[in-house]
Amino acid sequence: MSETPTYIGFEAYTGHIPPSIPSAVQQATARFAVGRAARVSELPQFEQLRQIASDIRLHTIENMDTYLLRFEEKVTAAGGHVHWAATAEDARQIVLQIAREHNVKLAVKSKSMATEEIGLNHALETAGIEALETDLGEYIIQLAGTGPSHIIVPAIHLKKEEIAAIFSEKLGIDAPADPIELTRIAREILREKFLNAEMGVSGANFLIAETGTLVMVTNEGNGRMCTTMPDLHVAVVGIDKIIPDWESLTVFLKLLARSATGQKLSTYTQFITGPRRAEGEFGPKEFHIVLLDNGRSDVLKDPIGREVFKCIRCGACANVCPVYKNVGGFAYGWFISGPIGAIFAPQMLGTPTARELPYASTLCGACADVCPVKIPIPTILRHLRRRVAEGDQIAASTMPAPIAAAAKLSALALAQNWIYRFGARILPPVMALFTRDSWISSAPYPLNRWTKSRPLLAFTAGFRSWWKNRNAK
Amino acid sequence: MTNPVIENIRRSLGGQRPPYNPRRGLGPRPAIYESRRPESVDSEIEQFLDEVRKLSGVAEKLSADSVSDALKALVAKNGIRKATLWHTPLFEQLGIENTLRSLAVDIISPNADKHEMAHCDLGITEAEYILPETGTLVLASSAEKPRAVSLLPRLHLAIVRPEMLRPDLHQVFAEHIGRGEASLRPYTPDYLVFITGPSRTADIELTVTLGVHGPKNLHVWIMVKNLTVAFD
Repeated sequence: MSETPTYIGFEAYTGHIPPSIPSAVQQATARFAVGRAARVSELPQFEQLRQIASDIRLHTIENMDTYLLRFEEKVTAAGGHVHWAATAEDARQIVLQIAREHNVKLAVKSKSMATEEIGLNHALETAGIEALETDLGEYIIQLAGTGPSHIIVPAIHLKKEEIAAIFSEKLGIDAPADPIELTRIAREILREKFLNAEMGVSGANFLIAETGTLVMVTNEGNGRMCTTMPDLHVAVVGIDKIIPDWESLTVFLKLLARSATGQKLSTYTQFITGPRRAEGEFGPKEFHIVLLDNGRSDVLKDPIGREVFKCIRCGACANVCPVYKNVGGFAYGWFISGPIGAIFAPQMLGTPTARELPYASTLCGACADVCPVKIPIPTILRHLRRRVAEGDQIAASTMPAPIAAAAKLSALALAQNWIYRFGARILPPVMALFTRDSWISSAPYPLNRWTKSRPLLAFTAGFRSWWKNRNAK
Repeated sequence: MTNPVIENIRRSLGGQRPPYNPRRGLGPRPAIYESRRPESVDSEIEQFLDEVRKLSGVAEKLSADSVSDALKALVAKNGIRKATLWHTPLFEQLGIENTLRSLAVDIISPNADKHEMAHCDLGITEAEYILPETGTLVLASSAEKPRAVSLLPRLHLAIVRPEMLRPDLHQVFAEHIGRGEASLRPYTPDYLVFITGPSRTADIELTVTLGVHGPKNLHVWIMVKNLTVAFD
């Protein structure tokens, strides 16, 4: 999962989804969607907040250079170190270099999408450094050796019995199939690791340009442990996480937990500005932040597509998506899944790699209705479908030739009245060749892909002639 | 020095951009930031206690002369043997440390080694601010107020005062970044943490479990001057 995919076969994957995935995913999504609705109904200004949040995000995207430079200046003034990583490889090398300089043997990690994106765990382990996930869900899937199936509850696809079996096998203990007991076991094991790790690695939910502050939102407390216990804290954060000031942050914090889990606020929200300053206080002596580009600055070229960077990673869009609820997070093939993944991956990885994802949607619009920052996801999906089919200034068409030709042909037919009329006239006799009892149960290739799953009712008359006769009555 | 990331952002956003304006696209500052108007201190206290309880925390209203008894009960009920606490004037005044010692509780310095502090049963802190709408404690950090005291012990007790009440996040942030050395303003203190209930997870089959990595229990005592009036 941490490796950058070369092709995401969404459709092929959906052909063999284990039935346990949709059932587990739907339990989680239903719980979060209901919780979200309850919190939203309590807050009369919610719609107003969404609009303000959207405006702030757009403003920030359009002035990203200004805010990032201000952030760098403030972090440096606070005694922290800022590193710029143009690519994933740059980011890995920066983190490895810091780890080597400090002779790190064990790194504790709090859940971070950016480190998933750059495959940091693998890079650290190759360099002989143990990289341990400490969010309970992430810890479980790290032991299991799989990827996350949901952005908030990454191990939702695993039953407690399966988790107990994984614990028993990997940790060499006798673990019971009880969530409370399994949590206690993880707490004990990980607490030792927190206390002995030389480096804490985290992501961030927001970066405040005004003061050079990193904001982290967690529920379990592992985020606090990773950034309080080791003497060295390294954060890897996408440049899209920047926000102008603390005033903007009030808006995002009011929206984030409510939209994600249906909490008013998550348990722990931390605000970290540089390394610790007081003698005798806990917290890292050294603070590094790696600002990750990895293609984001290219996405900024596209004024429609770049609205994806308004995202605050709440997962609300996935929780209401009829497609996600049936395929789960693995189908999207990268670390961000659901509707937001379907517009994120094709832009970050390119349409040749992720050309199926813009089609992984019914365009029902539920995602846009719940998005706390008003990302027009269906609009961007259609925009990216056009890119896949026809190509645009950003990328050339990546449609397979026969489908592209068929699409061109139908566009022509729909645009020229006489072709359309001619087609409508010859279609019934052509269809009649394949019709048995007014149904077509097996059409010739390549149309048989449709009739394999359901028969097609043959046309008996053209719409125009039917309409004319109907009016004549 | 050239910065390739910034250079590429500028190239992508184009040369036609109007010069930077901190309010472009944002319009006038919306009044929504200060829209929450509390009724009274009493109602704010009640809402705060209520929210902490909803999050499975224990929340009580106490007067200064009942603190000793409350500590005694807490120590007995939770088998507290080792404790650590912030060094604050309020705790001196309440005689917290002496009371705990008289209950045969071992007191560890809040600046003790992390391995030692990890074995504490109880960590006692104050808060800078409290937020009634969400039941949130806002804790700062300094040598006298180390951040590990609210993190490593298995039970976290916060002793707070009504003066810490703030109507909204907005006021908290405005005060917070207004602090610090004037020459570096806005220049925030190095650390701030919001604590909203005890450490929790729902990562295994969505079963809510308390005390994953942080404290398993959160107790909050709010000190009121005249208990009988406040209880009416």
